[in-house]
Amino acid sequence: MQIPTNRLLRNRIKKRLWLRYVTMFLFISQPLILAAQEHTVPLINSRLSGRVVDAVSREALPGAIVQIKGTTHGVSTDEQGKFGFVTGQKFPYTLIVSFLGYKKQEVIAETGQVEIRLEPVQNQLNDVVVVGYGTQKKSDLTGSISSVSGNLLKQPVSSLDQALKGSVPGIQVTQTSGQPGGGVSIRIRGGSSIQGGNEPLYVIDGFPVYNNPVSAGILSGTPVNPLANINPSDIESIDVLKDASATAIYGSRGANGVVIITTKKGKADKSALSYEVLYGVQSLRKKIAVLGAKDFAVLRNEVLYDANPSRGKNQYLTQAQIDQLGRGTDWQDEAFRSAPQQSHQLTISGGSAKTRYLLSGNYFNQQGIIRNTDFSRFSIRANVDANPFDRLKVSAALTASKSDANVAPAGIVSSLLIMPPTATVYEPDGSYTLRNPFENIFANPVATINEQINKSITNRFFGTAFAEYKILEGLQVKVLFGADVNTTNEKSYIPSTIYEGAQTNGSAGQGTYSSYSWLNENTVSYAKSFGKHNFDALAGFTQQEYTSDVSRSGAQNFVTNDLTYNNLQSGATLVRPYSDATAWVLHSWLARVNYNYANRYYFTASIRTDGSSRFGKGNKWGYFPSAAASWRVSNEPFFRALSKTISDLKIRASFGTTGNLEIGEYQSLAALYSLTYLFGGKTFTGFAPSRIPNDKLGWETTYQYNAGIDVGLFNNRLQVSLDGYYKKTQDLLLSVEIPWTTGQNASLQNFGSVQNKGFEIGVNSRNLTGALGWNTNLSFSLNRNKVLTLGNGARSYITGNYIIRVGEPLGSFYGTVTDGILQPGEEAGKGQYTGSATPKPGDRLYKDISGDKLFTTAADRTIIGNAQPDFIFGLNNTFDWKGLSLSVFLQGSYGNKILNSNRQQLELFTGQQNAAASALDRWTPEHTNTQIPRAKLDPAPVFSDRFIEDGSFLRVKNIALGYSLPRSVFRNIASVEVYVSAQNLLTWTNYTGFDPEVTSGSNVSPGTDSGIYPVSRTVSAGAKISF
Amino acid sequence: MKRTSEIFFFILILSSGACSSLDEEPASQLVTEQFYQNEQQATAAVTASYRKLYETGQSLYNSLFQIGVEMATDDYEAGPRARNAHVRAISGLTHDASNDRMEQLWKQSYDAINTSNIAIDRIPLIPAGKISENIRARLINESKFLRALHYFNLVRWFGDVPIVLHETTSFSPEALYVAKSPAADVYQQIIKDLRDAENLPAPNEYGSADIGRASAGSAKSLLAKVYLTQQDWPNAAAKSKEVIDKHWYGLFENFGDVFEVSKKNGKEHIFSAQFQGNAGYQGNSLASRSAPNEVPGINGDYADAIHKQGGLYESFAETDTRRSVTFITQMVSPTDGRLYTFEPHLHKYYDPAVVGNPGQSSRNLPIIRYAEVLLIYAEALNEQHQTPTSGAYDAIDEVRQRAGIPLLRNIAPSLSVNDFRDSVFQERRKELVFEYQRWFDLVRRGPDYYVKTLKAAGKTLAAPKHIHFPTPQRELNLNPKLKQDPLWVN
Repeated sequence: MQIPTNRLLRNRIKKRLWLRYVTMFLFISQPLILAAQEHTVPLINSRLSGRVVDAVSREALPGAIVQIKGTTHGVSTDEQGKFGFVTGQKFPYTLIVSFLGYKKQEVIAETGQVEIRLEPVQNQLNDVVVVGYGTQKKSDLTGSISSVSGNLLKQPVSSLDQALKGSVPGIQVTQTSGQPGGGVSIRIRGGSSIQGGNEPLYVIDGFPVYNNPVSAGILSGTPVNPLANINPSDIESIDVLKDASATAIYGSRGANGVVIITTKKGKADKSALSYEVLYGVQSLRKKIAVLGAKDFAVLRNEVLYDANPSRGKNQYLTQAQIDQLGRGTDWQDEAFRSAPQQSHQLTISGGSAKTRYLLSGNYFNQQGIIRNTDFSRFSIRANVDANPFDRLKVSAALTASKSDANVAPAGIVSSLLIMPPTATVYEPDGSYTLRNPFENIFANPVATINEQINKSITNRFFGTAFAEYKILEGLQVKVLFGADVNTTNEKSYIPSTIYEGAQTNGSAGQGTYSSYSWLNENTVSYAKSFGKHNFDALAGFTQQEYTSDVSRSGAQNFVTNDLTYNNLQSGATLVRPYSDATAWVLHSWLARVNYNYANRYYFTASIRTDGSSRFGKGNKWGYFPSAAASWRVSNEPFFRALSKTISDLKIRASFGTTGNLEIGEYQSLAALYSLTYLFGGKTFTGFAPSRIPNDKLGWETTYQYNAGIDVGLFNNRLQVSLDGYYKKTQDLLLSVEIPWTTGQNASLQNFGSVQNKGFEIGVNSRNLTGALGWNTNLSFSLNRNKVLTLGNGARSYITGNYIIRVGEPLGSFYGTVTDGILQPGEEAGKGQYTGSATPKPGDRLYKDISGDKLFTTAADRTIIGNAQPDFIFGLNNTFDWKGLSLSVFLQGSYGNKILNSNRQQLELFTGQQNAAASALDRWTPEHTNTQIPRAKLDPAPVFSDRFIEDGSFLRVKNIALGYSLPRSVFRNIASVEVYVSAQNLLTWTNYTGFDPEVTSGSNVSPGTDSGIYPVSRTVSAGAKISF
Repeated sequence: MKRTSEIFFFILILSSGACSSLDEEPASQLVTEQFYQNEQQATAAVTASYRKLYETGQSLYNSLFQIGVEMATDDYEAGPRARNAHVRAISGLTHDASNDRMEQLWKQSYDAINTSNIAIDRIPLIPAGKISENIRARLINESKFLRALHYFNLVRWFGDVPIVLHETTSFSPEALYVAKSPAADVYQQIIKDLRDAENLPAPNEYGSADIGRASAGSAKSLLAKVYLTQQDWPNAAAKSKEVIDKHWYGLFENFGDVFEVSKKNGKEHIFSAQFQGNAGYQGNSLASRSAPNEVPGINGDYADAIHKQGGLYESFAETDTRRSVTFITQMVSPTDGRLYTFEPHLHKYYDPAVVGNPGQSSRNLPIIRYAEVLLIYAEALNEQHQTPTSGAYDAIDEVRQRAGIPLLRNIAPSLSVNDFRDSVFQERRKELVFEYQRWFDLVRRGPDYYVKTLKAAGKTLAAPKHIHFPTPQRELNLNPKLKQDPLWVN
């Protein structure tokens, strides 16, 4: 990220001003002297005074160079950004204005006053990036840190993590639910943990949080993404820390990478008021082709005849009845819709040298593309910075938000697909059809969507405040406090009028999850330069504590559905209440030293030691060191000759260790859990052990090596960063399976190791810089993941449809391999390869992998694909011309496989539920030349390679066309920008499911698309008005 | 000004000392070290052991026996709604060592055993005065009864199995890897535990708050069954006779009362898994698993079905009062009022109090009841004397009389030892339908009998190895000392 106007940069600039003035003087004095010799009496034709400011912040830019085009006459701006010319030139004449970190600009001076607004240049080397517990100039970095470019942050998303898709190299973002306010799964440089957390640590205005969805256990379906509580429009910058040199300062929480988020702040001397509005419409990208009523009836007749031939061929419907059927109910049409989305943001900022502020209010409302689902958020923010005394700076960044979500109940998308088309939404009397009328019982999904209340309401207060005291020049002490207070209320009601509520006669539940986390950081920093030696250091102590509690209650059997969840006491049957409380504490000491010699040789070393309550008695403290060096070759004297072409060249290398402690609390203790039993008809409580204690439980340790090169060509118009890394994570927090004879299933132990190695390219190119501007950003990442060892000498674990096997990557699908269709006459020879006790022609054949001349689903499995991509990329092109701007953001993934579990369900052909349109090509005695098996009653799905699909895709993730109206159009309005944009407008993929951007989340079983709420396509229009 | 800011800063720094501690003291969880300290906690430990009869989901005495064991008999099969491939495999006898239902049998049984082991290890350590000695002895013996019950199941399912008699507290190889013991040793341990458990209070000595606990009667009855399974006929006869002669138990007049919610833990019930629908407790899920799915408003699951070719339903005489309790063939829909007729469905646990929500059935599952003790006695006497004695006839006829069918003494007064044996087994089959007995009864008579019976019922893949279940492959993988059952080694 770039904050060229950041105060820090300004301070640095000021420090160097004297140098600049000297250079300027040398630069311009020579021609002036010459000019003086030519004109003894200067001819004065014009007097011009002006000011140079930052186009975005409107802050003065001291030290900018202003030159009259075609002459050698130039000046530099003063502390207030002001400059003046008294010359023989007549108006109009052209000024060339340049300043480091800004686009060079030509301005025609027509009158005696001019204000020149310089546009900041993106990705300039002098930009400041936010690193752990501080900031650094991009040019001084030794580690691998990427900043998310500004225009990606402008995408209309409900939570900031969604804006990270394709944004920077090394980060993989996949949607886990298209539910409004739904979550994403993020992997920075691959997943390093098997069973621990793999999501990165987020540091929001200095406060570290993990984005773990929380639930009180009442909500059905995907919990709301906690980051959706933070308004993405308030974000100034996102920096992604990737290598150990950057992340080791976060110690036991750094192994999955760190995403640093900084919110917007007010600027001195510039009051601004802006209003942003956005309206959009979302729709389903595509429907899944399923059978219509007639085809389904034929299929069901066929199945019933196969099961009971004696009862005839028309056990379900007669041919006459079938002929009368229309298309039947299209359940997808009944549930999906075009859904509006809107956002309003009001921001006021301003201040003086002593106090700066930014206040914002935001309302965001996203309706879901499934009926009766939505997410809305109201948030306010107050960011204040002040320098009450000379040496003291205080700052606070506070936000409060309330969000409401109506969540799609679990399993609804699957039900929509498999609900038979011959079933109707309503009975003739107008009441809901309760359920699938056939053997596979599930509720009418439209009734569920319409009538079930499934709500999540979150109130969150999040803020940090710090005071920084300058003891001496360069020596500062900082104390920071932060708090994150979160309360999530979940409410559900299942009325007696629908299937799920008919059994219980109405079922209501309320639950609360509340958490409180506080943080205290005390750091001291020192910076000093002597001669060519530049040195800065940081040391500190931090502590964080987190407590949470959950409670829920419920009742069933209501006289009326009118009171929903608001009157639990009126339910005749009470549901056993539940409560729980957990807490964790983290104490840390940290230190970092940066040193560079003559801006050529850079060294960084850091160490953090973490003490965590989560680990065993004997293993509470861990140490996480890192070291890095870089060589700015382009600053070497010998390099000068090349500097016209190669404007910047830096070589980096780093090594360090980080940890991962993302396990639940109390995992090392011999905890007991409660259960109940009946004696004398009354319930008594008992306690049984949950696990065998493990005093030695510790964190996962990741050793990461990184080497990189940064090249800037043609005056940095083309910047390329290449990074290669090797990451080995060992002492994995692995739930090691132990013999059941111990009475336990598994024990959490530090066992096993996983490696990730990969390669990243980031390209930033300013292709055209004239009136038509064209910038290109490319991010490309390639990661290879492999399990090196597993606990107790085990070679593999099978979990559901996946295998974790030594030598193979995580996310390996483990299933059977199809081998054609059994044809008539082959029953005796090949029947044993159908897995059926009574094989018939038309049954699917499977490969006998174990070689025992028999097919069984347990023994004949092999690895049939992997959910991890070969590579992923993002390509962003932005064009601007006379106030028009166009940005086209392409994003893609190649080589990842998706288990299309929806299709596995739809290809059961049992007649108990609807089937995929591929059923039309199924084997029948008349149609034998096919790869689709016959219809039959067997409702047990066999997981095979047939349901593994290529998940590669290329999509136009975001396309936005904007226009800044000319200033002259409105009075008193600083600027008006309007834009139209579209997300997921075009997608190229072979994946047959709803959307290829889909994953099931966990590292053990990623890439399964099983009834996941589909991602939508959005078209929106918006405006930003600044006063 | 400088002073002010220094003071401000000084206060800040002071206020930010370490205010938190790294020791974990869970507020909502107990740990072992702070438990098992007094009578109340000892009682809670044993309560947990009882719950391990069925914990959650498909658990031992709440459907796992049906799904994982009984499916492999001539009487039952996976119904149209049994979607799990593993269950269908057991039903069709294509199951192997990776079958997950079978894994659950092993896993849940050892889990239950470990819970009993903790009680047996730790309750003796509670200081005197913190627990009444009577209660201490009772709780230990209850735990031994439960441990014996689970080992008895294990040894019958898997043959030789590892014997674990103490709580696992470490990850040492000795603790983790236990080799199999010969079945005879397992039986020895079972008998030892049950002998101790015979010292439990008599059923009538328990107060109303303790109804449902294992009693001396439970221990003696189970012991009789253990002897019977071992073909130790004299001991089996003597022990079952002892139970009969104590007059603690008797048969209900109506067979239907055995499953009536209002007659729970009555005179015929010796030891049952206790269920209570709704009210935040656990219902007997066999009720919904067997209920028809095609009757609107009943919401049955129909995953546990009768294997028609086995002829179970047809084996009942029309007059047999057990038939209408055991099966149902028609029901009136509570929603549309129509009468639906269907093939016979199992019906013993269907609780009419929870129409539309059969999974909340409050009907108990009998683990051993008096009718079975009578049949044990009849069988053991017949075998012991190699002829059906008068006592043997009396015992079986007591069961037949209650069922409303002709007494054996009247219709076949002079049966051979073999024919009488067949009669007892046939009576067991009909009396104990859906009570988790059929598989044990089939394999008890040896591989030939099992294979012959299943093949006759159309389960053609039946083989001698099926008289045991394979030791779960997972256990073989994790425990180097474990060997597969020789019957299951290819």
